Amino acid sequence: MTTVDLNVSPMGRVEGDLDVRVTIDDGVVGSAWTSAAMFRGLEIILRGKDPQAGLIVTPRICGICGGSHLYKAAYALDVAWRTELPPNATLVRNIAQACETLQSIPRGFYALFAIDLTHRRHAASPLYEEAVRRFTPFTGTSYGPGVVLSAAPVEIYAILGGQWPHSSFMVPGGVIGAPTLADVTRATAILEHWRSEWLEKRWLGCSVDRWLANRTWADVLAWVYENESQHDSDCGFFLRYCLDVGLDRYGQGSGDYLASGTYFDPELYARPTIDGRGQALISRSGVYADGTHLPFDQARIREDVTHSYYRGTAAHHPFEGETDPIDPENGREAGKYSWAKSPRYDIPGLGLRPLETGPLARRIAAAAPDAAAHQDHDPLFGDILAAIGPSVMVRVLARMHEAARTYRWVRGWLDQLDLHGPFHIPPPELEDGRGFGATEAARGSLADWIVLERGRIANYQVITPTAWNIGPRDGEGTPGPIEAALVGTPVADPNDPVELGHVARSFDSCLVCTVHAFDGRTGRELSRFTLGETA
Amino acid sequence: MNPDPAAGLRARRVAPSPAVRLDPPGIEPPTCTAAVIGCGNPLRGDDAVGPILIRRLAEAGVPAGVRLVDGGTAGMDTAFAMRGAGRVLLVDAARTGAAPGTVYRVPADELVDLPLHLPQPHAVRWDQALAFGQWLLGDDYPTDVTVYLIEAATLEPGAALSPPVLRAMERVRTLIIDELAGDAAHG
Repeated sequence: MTTVDLNVSPMGRVEGDLDVRVTIDDGVVGSAWTSAAMFRGLEIILRGKDPQAGLIVTPRICGICGGSHLYKAAYALDVAWRTELPPNATLVRNIAQACETLQSIPRGFYALFAIDLTHRRHAASPLYEEAVRRFTPFTGTSYGPGVVLSAAPVEIYAILGGQWPHSSFMVPGGVIGAPTLADVTRATAILEHWRSEWLEKRWLGCSVDRWLANRTWADVLAWVYENESQHDSDCGFFLRYCLDVGLDRYGQGSGDYLASGTYFDPELYARPTIDGRGQALISRSGVYADGTHLPFDQARIREDVTHSYYRGTAAHHPFEGETDPIDPENGREAGKYSWAKSPRYDIPGLGLRPLETGPLARRIAAAAPDAAAHQDHDPLFGDILAAIGPSVMVRVLARMHEAARTYRWVRGWLDQLDLHGPFHIPPPELEDGRGFGATEAARGSLADWIVLERGRIANYQVITPTAWNIGPRDGEGTPGPIEAALVGTPVADPNDPVELGHVARSFDSCLVCTVHAFDGRTGRELSRFTLGETA
Repeated sequence: MNPDPAAGLRARRVAPSPAVRLDPPGIEPPTCTAAVIGCGNPLRGDDAVGPILIRRLAEAGVPAGVRLVDGGTAGMDTAFAMRGAGRVLLVDAARTGAAPGTVYRVPADELVDLPLHLPQPHAVRWDQALAFGQWLLGDDYPTDVTVYLIEAATLEPGAALSPPVLRAMERVRTLIIDELAGDAAHG
């Protein structure tokens, strides 16, 4: 048996860095360890600060999904202060959050994921030349339009929020600023331009309605071959290429999922509470484990630090969460290997489980039975999971599918705004309280827990989708979701392991990394391979 | 005097710009005489200098027609923020090994062979953003781009600006105000 160790080492830049180490046995990944190489410390930055500091600080965590950070930080404070939100505020928050996600969908696909599809590893495919023609950076026929038009949705965010990125326009009780009719008209024109020029013309090759009529995997396959336009669209080509080069056959992961849900019905979440949240959601929350749908309950979340560079081995709920960093040198002696904590969910009867989060997790939650009239019910990915199981292809398809669903929501919310109604109701600034706010960033569940005491932040904990997905092993030794998804990946050339890039990028997590490949026996560096991911 | 300082750069462009419009038909991108763009992460010590400088300029007020952009850490979007700008002044922190607070003023037309390569959207450096902007905006790329880089002392999470970087920021703020005033005086 040939065993090779591959190390993925950090690339120095201010934002998050990721190390991945895998062992490759006879050309297949046997084990993987993911390690966040950077301490962020924002929980420590926020301790003792003004209650509203989270609205300024957390949107700076990420240059890609700062709006998502703002969204959940605002709801955490709404819950703690027991605010009332006018319907317009809920609608504007929904639109802004959704537009940030609509930006990420084409940008993540063309600027990150699809570049690897042009790798010479796939040169034997009869579709390879076409992949190169479409997806080569800067010169690809699809790359340019996809990257340029990815910026359109956040133009809408900037109209509503004053700026994108890093706006702080969502505040307890609503939003700052009221759009005018001209603003809404312009926003609608931008959204429709994005739909017609990218989503329908480039990605789908058909109308949004036609795509959303697909309810099963068999429907999707029939859709590809229904006509030339769909067959030759980027979506049609992506599916044909994945099936040809085998991206439907690895990157499965554990098959257990978590969605905290996002977007609220304006009437049902006028007074945000933890208990009322689930029923008010439009994009539903949910947990899926061992093939069973369960309701999402934030009280069941723990953060295990057994293998993380923090004191102890406890697994606290975030309200009791501690962020007590230690020297990694000392941590390594205790078997710790990451700055990320390991988020886990206490599943009734099964105990603490790692759960994958992201678009696929949302689509599985959307396939659960018993949706209320205002809620997303979308059976497609329930069927795909049953028919072919998860994979790199399915994870990416789930992300792209949401472009059509989310477009439809945004259009509806723009039409519902009442420009004569209020956008903010001044909140009570309570001295003490607890709040939980959550959303779905493009790449998955994102949540804040805030504890206020005597008018100051006593505790603030953030769990990002990247933490859910790249977190290290827990106290039981159970690998995190990406650690699990890398296992079984075939690596044709350890000098240039593009397959690891396919798996890692299918999660679209927000860490930067470079792969250094080492020969397991001699330690000789074999190659260097850039793996970057986004938010 | 070179009538088009960016001409040399354009000639070097390795990939043609995409033939697709970001703006819907009938909607033109907003124009400005100058865009001042501050990049960096306020949670990381001296990396905050770009965004803090933008806030200082906003509080004190700038001449009409100047666009202030807090670019934060959204690297690719720095390029989109240049749309419709007559000239661009970009401010970022740097780590070159020089003494903390060292200020670099880089006229972008003296930069050749900018790397047209995006490592990934979380790690776009200013020079990559400029190259990306040239590709993205094509003939609409501003002809006058100046980059101010301030050498950081600390990038510790939550740290305030260090004294040398604070002093450097004031220096750059004055230089930028003078540049903007020159624009206003010369129309």
